[in-house]
Formats: sequence, structure tokens, C-alpha cells
Amino acid sequence: MTAVLEVADYTLDYATRQGPVRALEDVSLSIARGEVVGLVGESGSGKTSLAWAIMRYLAPNAIERGGTLRLSGTDLRALKPAGLTAIRGKRLGMVFQDPSTSLNPTLTLGRQITEVLEFHRGLSPADAVREAEAMFARVGLRDPAAMMRRYPHEASGGEKQRVVIATAFACRPECILFDEPTTALDVVTARQILDLFRELQAETGVASLYISHDLAVVSGLAQRVAVIHQGRIVEQGATRAVFGAPQAEYTRALLAAVPRPDVRLTETVPQPGPPLVAVQDMTVRYGRPSLFRRRARGVIGASAVTLDVRAGEILGIVGESGSGKSTLARALTGLAAFEGGLAFEGRPIGGVRAMDRAYRRQVQIVFQHPDSSLNPRQRIREILARPSRLYGGEGDVGALLQSVSLPADFADRFPHQLSGGQKQRVAIARAFAPRPKLVICDEVTSSLDVSVQASVIRLLVELQRSSGAAYLFITHDINLVRQIAHRIAVMQRGQLVETITAEDLATRGPQHAYTAQLLAAVPRLDIGETPDDA
Amino acid sequence: MAELLRRLLRSPQGAIGLALVLLVLVLALAGPALAPHDPEALSPLRRYRPPSADYLLGTDQLGRDILSRLLAGARATVLLALLATALGTLAGAVIGTASAFLGGKVDEAVMRTVDAVMAVPSLLLSLLIVSVLGRGAENAVLAIAIAFTPGMARITRSVALAVRQQDYVNAAIARGEGAGYIVLREMLPNVIAPIVVEMSIRVAFAVMLFATLSFLGLGAQPPASEWGLMVSEARRFMHLSPWMILWPAAAIALVAVGFNLLGDGLRDALNPRT
Repeated sequence: MTAVLEVADYTLDYATRQGPVRALEDVSLSIARGEVVGLVGESGSGKTSLAWAIMRYLAPNAIERGGTLRLSGTDLRALKPAGLTAIRGKRLGMVFQDPSTSLNPTLTLGRQITEVLEFHRGLSPADAVREAEAMFARVGLRDPAAMMRRYPHEASGGEKQRVVIATAFACRPECILFDEPTTALDVVTARQILDLFRELQAETGVASLYISHDLAVVSGLAQRVAVIHQGRIVEQGATRAVFGAPQAEYTRALLAAVPRPDVRLTETVPQPGPPLVAVQDMTVRYGRPSLFRRRARGVIGASAVTLDVRAGEILGIVGESGSGKSTLARALTGLAAFEGGLAFEGRPIGGVRAMDRAYRRQVQIVFQHPDSSLNPRQRIREILARPSRLYGGEGDVGALLQSVSLPADFADRFPHQLSGGQKQRVAIARAFAPRPKLVICDEVTSSLDVSVQASVIRLLVELQRSSGAAYLFITHDINLVRQIAHRIAVMQRGQLVETITAEDLATRGPQHAYTAQLLAAVPRLDIGETPDDA
Repeated sequence: MAELLRRLLRSPQGAIGLALVLLVLVLALAGPALAPHDPEALSPLRRYRPPSADYLLGTDQLGRDILSRLLAGARATVLLALLATALGTLAGAVIGTASAFLGGKVDEAVMRTVDAVMAVPSLLLSLLIVSVLGRGAENAVLAIAIAFTPGMARITRSVALAVRQQDYVNAAIARGEGAGYIVLREMLPNVIAPIVVEMSIRVAFAVMLFATLSFLGLGAQPPASEWGLMVSEARRFMHLSPWMILWPAAAIALVAVGFNLLGDGLRDALNPRT
């Protein structure tokens, strides 16, 4: 087999004020025709830098230290801008992570693909339209002719990603780079996109580099896999060999960090007695009334949700984005107005105004993105000392940092001097500072790397055991929630479709069709089987 | 503070801007002492002189030394413009941030009021305020500050709206923090960078506004050596001696460029991430 894409001993630095920082070191990789190579690594590992280096679109401060990049014999590094234009899109395609930002919002979906066809394949406008419609039909878009006339904001995330994929495949390139193409999508949609990718790949035989942090996805797609860590490829080989019998320490750690629904992490049991929080028919509408618009046209975020959380219980809430799970968190913390009943320890809370200091103290929230939940202008000390200043009580910042396994001297740092996982630990410490009875975790691990995610989950489980607080654990990762939750509530389009104990889910299986669909869509890390039936 | 200075000096525009602004501030403070001649001494025999060894920048229509007048006028021009801008910025920033935070009807009411005030040109507005309050430097400062407030409020609000969406603000609301704490401690520090940049541009504008007020007889009065006033006076004698209008105009430009560069430098230095 001759390699279509060949990267040999490629080394890349980024010039920074502190001197050059190595992004890639002696990276060697080759992809043959018809092959899918998975590139697995965590954020900052250099996987996206490699993709940009192959596309010849490097940041201005990038310094190439050596190595070769070849596409079917063409030396990519030697190409002049004109030569690059001829190659990009035509012989070398790329699919990005977020379809909502990779399409031009001012062009129709049809125009974005016909432009490529006219430019690279020299088709006449009429032929390009015909070809584009055929491509749209091929990628499974319903009513391709109508879709051609739509703008990106008129299409769903899954449809947009299909358009991007259609564009990438349109010129029948030799090689396509996929940079986390399903990360920004919902589980069910991601599953469909992965199926589409597998079909198109088999049909066209394009050499594909599939970049992802998700080992389960890669294990189901790639014949060969390369594991990248801090700019070096630590292990490379057949997918089954690498994931089945990892040689490198780092690969083993990565594999160990993948959530496995059959391994339970929580040992505690919820306390019997009346529920800590009782939510009765809670409905949340979005849209603020303004001076000129009396009543906002209410978009319903959550509709007639009834659930309760007992003291010391971990209640998992799963669902796709837009299912209303975060809306519930916003309503419980007073960030969104709600209708319906809410009672905390038997005390009815009529609305946002009735949430007094005592309630606020007992109910704390940890957000998804630690970057935005910590004020960038405040030092960690100030951030952690605030709850005790607000609610009273002792505020030992050092002890708080210690409780989340961070060194005490972090107190004088700013958030941007911490890594994502460390920031999330600070956010967790802040939530636990006033000794709350309910902690709402809103997708707390989804912006973190796999290995960091595992350690944050361990920390949360440990804190739950020592503090006895109840969790409302909101996530889209059903595998994860099965590991830690006592009960799982499944939400879809603002409604609660099913509440089931983790035990029942494991033994009796899902009761509702949507839960079954969610479970089926989750990619599984398969080590022993062939990649085809992932 | 020392760290901020170090970061500021690291960028070329920050270093040049700081140097220019420091130079202007030194002139503003020590100007009268450095002046080689009495800025108000008339000498009818030496009118419209080009630059010479004795009169480094030449003389004006009454034979006064332009260099001395520039040095003496720096204080009135720069410090008062700075003060006016700072006052207007502070008021605008607080109003804009609070409006963005409160949202809904309050935001609507504040912003429509701001729109109405902004519909009046700032020169006209400051003229109106000075004529109501009475002429004089303090009132001119106040007038310019008030004229600047709506614009700053609008700019601040647009930045603050983005900050309002950040989870640290949500976290503060969920914690039960008061509106004052959220506006002043959580939001305001995060909108400061664009405000500083806008403020630095407006200092130059304030200098011009001051000059205009002086020209119309509501700010500095004719014997004074306020730069804007010097420009307006020199216009009539431009064909006799172009130097007369060149020097004060160059001085104003220098102040404007200096503050603009400093603003750019500060924007980068204030961002903890760069």
C-alpha cells in the first residue's frame, strides 16, 4: 500500500514571549488509500496543530524545525500560495469541529458547495447545482433542492455538518482531515454523522485522518490509531492492538479514564425520609418582557417537570442539548423565572424572589465552563473567600483548596494561570464552601479532557461522601451518569420522559423508547471486536 | 501596578504612548517654570516672527513668545481635558454596566434616555450646560463630562451585555449577591479594557471641545494661552505666519497621538491573558 498522506519526522515550534514552545516533535504518520487513521489526544497535545500544518495554514508564530509533509508525492512544505490553492479543497479536504462556525452565515448552503465545485472542478453553474443536489442527497439531507436555498441559521447542527461533509467530499479529494467533527453535536446526531462518515469513506476510499479526544468514537472508526501526548506520538498501530494491549503508559491512563457504565463509583445511599427538593409541574419560559413588548413570546425551556431529590442522593439528568436539563438548573438557582411548585426541605419557594439567603446558601451550582465561571480579574483567594463573606462563617481559603486537592499557594493566582481541570476544582471548592445540601453540577466535566474528567468525577464522588450533599448531576454522557447516579432522569424537548434508578437501568433496561435511543447512540469503546460493528 | 507598567512597556505603542503622555504631563505641571519668556508680555515690534534662536517657535500677532504660551497653556488644556474625560467615563461606565445588568424595562428606559441625549451634538449639549451653569473652567469640565457620559454608557453597555452572559455573573446571582457587588466587582473590572481605549481617544476630543468652548467665549478667556484658543485666534493670521497655527495644532495632535497609543498599550496590558 502506498501512502496518500505521509508525515515524517515533523517538528513544529511556536514562538512565544517565553521563547519557543514545542508543539510537535518528530511526528511520523502515514495514511494509505481507503484507510482511516485515528489521532487521539487531549487538548494541547498538538493534534490540531498537526492538522493545520498539513493544511499549510499555520499561525504566524509557528516555526517549522524540520520533517516532511507529502500528499501522494507532492511536497506540501515546498508549495507556493498558488499551488496551495489548487490543493486545498481539491486534493486535501478538512471538516471542522463546529459546523455553526465553519459555514459562512451570509451564503446559502447551496452556494457554499457550488462555489467549491465551480472553482476546483470547473463545472458550469448549472452543472454545479445539479452535482451539489446529488451530493446533498447522498449525505442524507432531506429535500436537497430546498436545502440548497437555505441559509446556515435555517438548518440544524446535524444538517450543517452534513453540508460541510458534502463539501469536503465534493471534489473527491485524496485525503480529508476530520477535526473532531461530532464533538459539537448531540449524541444521537453524532451517531448519524459517524454512520454517514463510515459509509462515504468506504464508498470513496478517501484517506482519512480522524482527530478526536473520544477514544470510543475512534475505536469504532479507525483501522489504525496514533496516540499523541505533548506533541509526541507515544504509540501507533492497529486500533485493536493499541486499545486492546496498550504499550505506552499514557495510552493506558487514557483508556482507564473512559467512563464505563458497569463500574460504579458511588458507594453512598440516599437518606430515607422526605425529599430535600421537590419540584412540582415546573415550567420555565424564556424571553424577557421589555418596555415595548409587553409579554415576550415565551419559548418554553422546560415544561411541567416533576421530580424530587432526596438528601444525599445523586440524581442524574441526561438529555440532548435543548432538552431543558440546564434550564432546570437555572430555575433552581434563581437564574430563570419559573411557574409551578418548588419546595426545599418542605418549605415552599414561590419564585425567584422567595429565594432568600438561606436557600441560596443551601443550593450551589457548578457550571460547565470553568473559564467563564471564574471571574478573570479576581484572584483565587478572592473567589473562594466570597461565599463565607456573603453567608458568614469561617472562610479558610487554604483548607478549601486542600479539599479539592490543589496546593494552597494557588490562592494568589489568577484563573488564567490554572489549567481547565484546576479551574473546575476551584469552582467546585467555591460551591462547597458554604456547606450546601444540594449541589447542581451542570455538565461540569464536558469541557474537560478525558483523564481530567475522571479525576474531577472522583473528587465529586469523594466530596459527596464526606459532605453528604445531594447532587443534581446534569450531563449528556449517559455512561458517566450510570457510574455515579442513584437515579437517572431523562429529558427530551423540555419534558421529563423517564426517571429510573441506576440499578433498574442496569438490570431491567430502559423503559422509555427515547432512553433506549440515547443508550444505543453512545459510542462504546470496543477493544476485542472488529471496528466494523462498533 | 509595577507589573502593569512592565507589561505596558513591553509593547512599542505602550512605551511610546507612555513617553508622550509623561512628556505632556511634565509640561503641564512644570510648564510655566520652564517658559523662557513671560507668556503675556506684548512686544509690538516683534510680531509674526518665524522661529529663531531667541523665540524658538516664533511669535504671534501681539509679539508674544509662542513656546512660552504653549508651556503655560499645557496645564489648562491637558489636565482639565483629562479630568473631564475621567468624570464622564466613570459616570458612563457605571450607568452602562448597571443598565446591562438590570436589563428589561430599566435597561430600555436608560438606553432610550441615552439615545435622546446623544441626539443632541456634544458641543451643543456642553454649550447648553455651560450657559445654564455659567462660564468658567470648572463648569466647562462638568459640561464636557456630562456630554461624554451617554456615549460612554452606550459603549460600556454593549461590552457589559457580553459579560452579563458569563457564568461568573450567573454564579454571583445564584449566590444571592447584591446588584451593587455584581456591577462594581464582577462586571466593571471586565469591561475596563474597551473603556480605557475609548477614554484615551476622548481625551483628544475633550481638548478640542475645550478649545471650541474657549473660542465661543465660554471657556478660557482671550489673554489665556489655552491651546485650542491659540488655534482659533491664529486662524485669522494664518497667511501672515503659518507657525502660529502650526505649533498649538501640533501640540494638540501630540497629546491625541500620545493618549491613543497609551490606550492601545493599556488595552493589551490590562488583559491578564496576553
